[in-house]
Amino acid sequence: MIKTEGLTKYFGNIKAIDNLNLHIKEGEVFGLLGPNGAGKTTTVRMLNTLTLPTSGRAEIDGLDVVKQANEVKRLIGVSPQELNLDKELTGRENLRLHGLLHRMKGREERIEELLKWAGLSDRADNLVRTYSGGMQRRLLVGRAIMHRPKVLFLDEPTVGLDPQVRRQIWDIIRDLTRQGVTILLTTHYIEEAEMLCHRVGILNHGELIALGTPRELKAKVGHFVVESLDNGVTNYRLFNTRENAYKFAEQRADDVFIRESNLEDVFIKLTGERIVR
Amino acid sequence: MNFYPIFLREMLIFKRRLLNIGYLFSTMITPLLYLVAFGLGLGRGISIEGISYLMFVVPGICAMSSMTNSYTWIATTISVGRLHFKTFEEYQVSPVTATDIMLGEILSGVVRGLFASSLILIAGAIFGAGFPQNPIFLLVWVLNCLIFACFGVISGFLAKSHEDTATFSNFFIMPMAFFCGTFFPIDNLPAFIKGFLYILPLTHANNALRTSFLGQQVEMISLGIMLAFLVISFYLGVITIRRSNR
Ligand SMILES: Nc1ncnc2c1ncn2[C@@H]1O[C@H](COP(=O)(O)OP(=O)(O)OP(=O)(O)O)[C@@H](O)[C@H]1O
Ligand SMILES: [Mg+2]
Repeated sequence: MIKTEGLTKYFGNIKAIDNLNLHIKEGEVFGLLGPNGAGKTTTVRMLNTLTLPTSGRAEIDGLDVVKQANEVKRLIGVSPQELNLDKELTGRENLRLHGLLHRMKGREERIEELLKWAGLSDRADNLVRTYSGGMQRRLLVGRAIMHRPKVLFLDEPTVGLDPQVRRQIWDIIRDLTRQGVTILLTTHYIEEAEMLCHRVGILNHGELIALGTPRELKAKVGHFVVESLDNGVTNYRLFNTRENAYKFAEQRADDVFIRESNLEDVFIKLTGERIVR
Repeated sequence: MNFYPIFLREMLIFKRRLLNIGYLFSTMITPLLYLVAFGLGLGRGISIEGISYLMFVVPGICAMSSMTNSYTWIATTISVGRLHFKTFEEYQVSPVTATDIMLGEILSGVVRGLFASSLILIAGAIFGAGFPQNPIFLLVWVLNCLIFACFGVISGFLAKSHEDTATFSNFFIMPMAFFCGTFFPIDNLPAFIKGFLYILPLTHANNALRTSFLGQQVEMISLGIMLAFLVISFYLGVITIRRSNR
C-alpha cells in the first residue's frame, strides 16, 4: 500500500532521509521510531505530498506521490505533528471545511459523531483558539479520519495528551486497524508502538537502522535486561536467556534489576540514545 | 472545481471581523481621511478637466481602496496561514487543485475589496458626488479587485516571512496608489513617467472607473490592459501555488 524506493531528502546539505526503502502492506499498522531529527516527519511529509523528495520515489496504492499527487490526496488522511487547525474558526467549522474539501456525503452526521468522539460536543461552536492542547490534538486526529481515508498518517498523535485521552486515541487506532486502514504512525512512546504496530522501523540520522515486528527486534538484541547502578549511572545489559541474565546478576554485589526487554531497549541499543519521555 | 470551501473559510473569518467595530472603523478611516482631506479640503473650488475635484477624486479613492483591501487581505491571510499557522497544509493535502485555491482566495479578495470601497462611494455620495450610473463601473471595479487579489496570492505564496508582503506593498502597491492618477491626472507628468505609468494596472482602473463614474465613454484599451493583467496574474498565481512548499 505504501512503497518507497531509494527515497532521499536533503534540505540544502542537511541530510534528512537517505535511501529509504519501505514496503507497508495494506491494513498494516507501521510505526516509525527514532530520536529527534531522525527524519520521521520528513518521511511522512514526502509520502503525503507536502515535501518533494530530492531523489528516489514513493507510491501509495500504486500512485506516485509526486506525479499523481492529486489522486494520492483522495486516499490519505493526515494528522501532522504540528497542530495546524484553523484557530480563527470553531471546531465544527474546521470539520465542515474538511468535509467540503473532500466533497463528503453525510457530512453533518459525521461531524456530530466526531465531535462526540473527541469530547468536544459542548465546545464545538467555540473558536479553536480557546481549546486546550489536548482538545486540539483530538480534533486534529478526528479531522484526519473524518473522510474515512484508506491510508492514515499520524505524526506523533499522542504527544502531550493525558493518559485517558491517549487511550482514546489508541482505541481509535485499533478500531481503524480492524477496519483494514493502513496506518503510518510516528511516536516517541515505545510502548505505544509495541502495542499498536504490526511492524516498526527505527530511523537514526536519516537512515533506517532496524525493521521488523517488535518481537523480532527484541529477539535480535536479547530478551532479558539486567539494569544495574554503577557510580550513579544506570547500565543496561541484554541477554538472550533468563539463565545468562541470572548468572550475570549473581556476580554483582549491588542492586540489580532483571526484566524482559522492550522496544525501548532495542532503541537504546541501536541508536545509543535514550528516548525522552 | 471545488473552490467553495476555500472561499467559505475566508468569508467565515470576514463575517467575524465585521462584528468587530474596531475593525470596521479602521477599514474606513484611511480612505475617508483621503476623501475629506483631498475632496473637501484641498479640492474645494478646484476643478480638473471641467469637473469638480470631488467628482474626480471619489472614483480614484474607490480604485485605490479596492486595490489595497483586496491585496492586503489576501496577502496577509495567505502568508500568515502558510508560514505561521500552517493552515495551508490542510488545503495542500486535500484533493483540491491550485486553481481551486486561487479562485477561492481571489473571490474572497473581491468581496473584501468591494466592501471597503463601497464605503467610499457611500461617503462620496453623502458629500454630493452622486453614485455611478454606468454598469461598466461595476465591471471595472470587480476587475480591479480581481487583479490585486491575484497579486495578493502571488505575494502571499512567495513570501518567506510575513514582512515580505508588506515590502511588496510598499514598493509596488502604495506608489501606484499615489502616481496612477488617483489624486491628480497623469497627463501633466513628463512623458517618460507617463509612459511607465501607462503599463501599470491601477492607471487603467483609475481611468476606466473615472470615465464610467462620470457617465463618459470608457476607453477599450484600459479594459483590455486590465483583462490582460488579470489573465497573466491569475496564471502566475496558480503556478506559484503549485510550486509553494514543495
Ligand atoms: N524545512 C526544513 N528545512 C531545513 N531542514 C529541515 C527541514 N525540515 C526538517 N529539516 C531537518 O531534517 C532533519 C529531519 O527532521 P524531521 O523533522 O524529519 O525529524 P523527526 O524525526 O520528525 O524529529 P522529531 O522527533 O523532532 O519530530 C533534521 O535535521 C531537521 O533539522
Ligand atoms: Mg517529527
